[in-house]
Amino acid sequence: MKEFALYTGCTTPVRLPSYEASVKAVLSRLGITLVDMSDANCCGAQYIESVSHKAFVAMSARILALAEKMGLDLLTVCGACSGSIKTVKHELDHDKKLRDEINALLAEEGLTYTGKYEVKHLLQVFAEDIGYEAIREAIVRPYKGVRLSAHYGCHVTRPEEIVQVDDAENPTIIDKIIEIAGGTAVDYVGKTRCCGGPMLGVDPILASRIGRDKIENIRAENVQGIVTVCEFCNLQLTQVQFGDEVEGLDKIPVITLPQFLGPALGIDFDSLGISMNRISPQPVLQG
Amino acid sequence: MSDLGQTEDHIEHVPNSDFTKEIEKEPGGEYIQRCIQCGMCTASCMVATMTEKYRPRKLIQQILLGMREEVLRSELPWLCMTCRQCEERCQEDVSLADIFRAVRNLAAKEGHIPDTVRGVVDKVMEDGWMLKDGYSDFIEDDRDDLGLETDLKWNTEFVRRVKKRYIDGVNKK
Repeated sequence: MKEFALYTGCTTPVRLPSYEASVKAVLSRLGITLVDMSDANCCGAQYIESVSHKAFVAMSARILALAEKMGLDLLTVCGACSGSIKTVKHELDHDKKLRDEINALLAEEGLTYTGKYEVKHLLQVFAEDIGYEAIREAIVRPYKGVRLSAHYGCHVTRPEEIVQVDDAENPTIIDKIIEIAGGTAVDYVGKTRCCGGPMLGVDPILASRIGRDKIENIRAENVQGIVTVCEFCNLQLTQVQFGDEVEGLDKIPVITLPQFLGPALGIDFDSLGISMNRISPQPVLQG
Repeated sequence: MSDLGQTEDHIEHVPNSDFTKEIEKEPGGEYIQRCIQCGMCTASCMVATMTEKYRPRKLIQQILLGMREEVLRSELPWLCMTCRQCEERCQEDVSLADIFRAVRNLAAKEGHIPDTVRGVVDKVMEDGWMLKDGYSDFIEDDRDDLGLETDLKWNTEFVRRVKKRYIDGVNKK
């Protein structure tokens, strides 16, 4: 079936390697081949983007050009990387002057961006390249109604007309996969709101308040876990559940989508890095 | 926020559209004049929900009124998380995340950058990626246990060329 170049971004390999491992294990089980990229660079999201738009465009463009050199479509697993690279692709595809300028820079190392390869977020690979039916057929150990809430990640779904992943106001891909695997997808207040992650570098206290508000809205629905498709959201929604302010409150496991789906496909916990999760999801995933 | 936070200074100005015209030229800033000041952005904003100091509608209003120095010296444009919840709901297609990004680019050009942002930018443009210092032996062992490549093979050359071309002379006080 289909092959992609995997762009991990900066954060996943270091802060959440279990996400990288579970993406590989699950996609491989579902017939998708991933090729690691080497010689990549940061996509420039948020920080570089804030000080120089051109520098940001150049950095995300180089990642697209690297995938093009590999002759493969690009897979992103981080919301920030996905949003950045898709936005930059959109700009390069609609602004020839900008594309020429960036291509001149890329040409110094024999790279070029023509726009003929796609960039997809993990959710699109599940929904478009694999498809819900194929996922359903691959389920060997369905869950028995475990209650889970989906968190989509702002940059995964917005701006909708550019990223084209899901309905930005009412996203459903994660929810559908939860249900296909035998879980119960549970809605909550503020489902499409931000986790607060992008605020961490500027005002960490404010970032935590935003993340905790999300956690409390989810807690109100009495769910057993939260399912994410961005390592940054996953880390943020996990870390806001630690600290003096939340002393005594039960912690809700935060699980990446492939970590949730893997056991239902018959993949062992070790291959999915389940024991590395800071809040153990084992009771949920065994259910 | 060492070089920001000078918002208390009183700056004399009369309303004018110069700053708006400057923003309109930036990618994503094109539709700023369509803003009808309805406040849907502030109502949708989680940052505004959690802190009284941040009101995206007001910030757009300040730009429309031509309060260039006040806006560029303020920490507020740096508080936008770019979550685009407001844009999804704006009936006039005003792209606040893009407008505030354009504002931050201008502020950076004129030396107004929060210290934490400056620190990350310097790191990324030196190492090629964000977390070189965070990649410990312990994490390398975790990757090995997971059967993942331990040599992450990031490129450093390209970002240095990009820095020279687009950032040096910008990211300075």
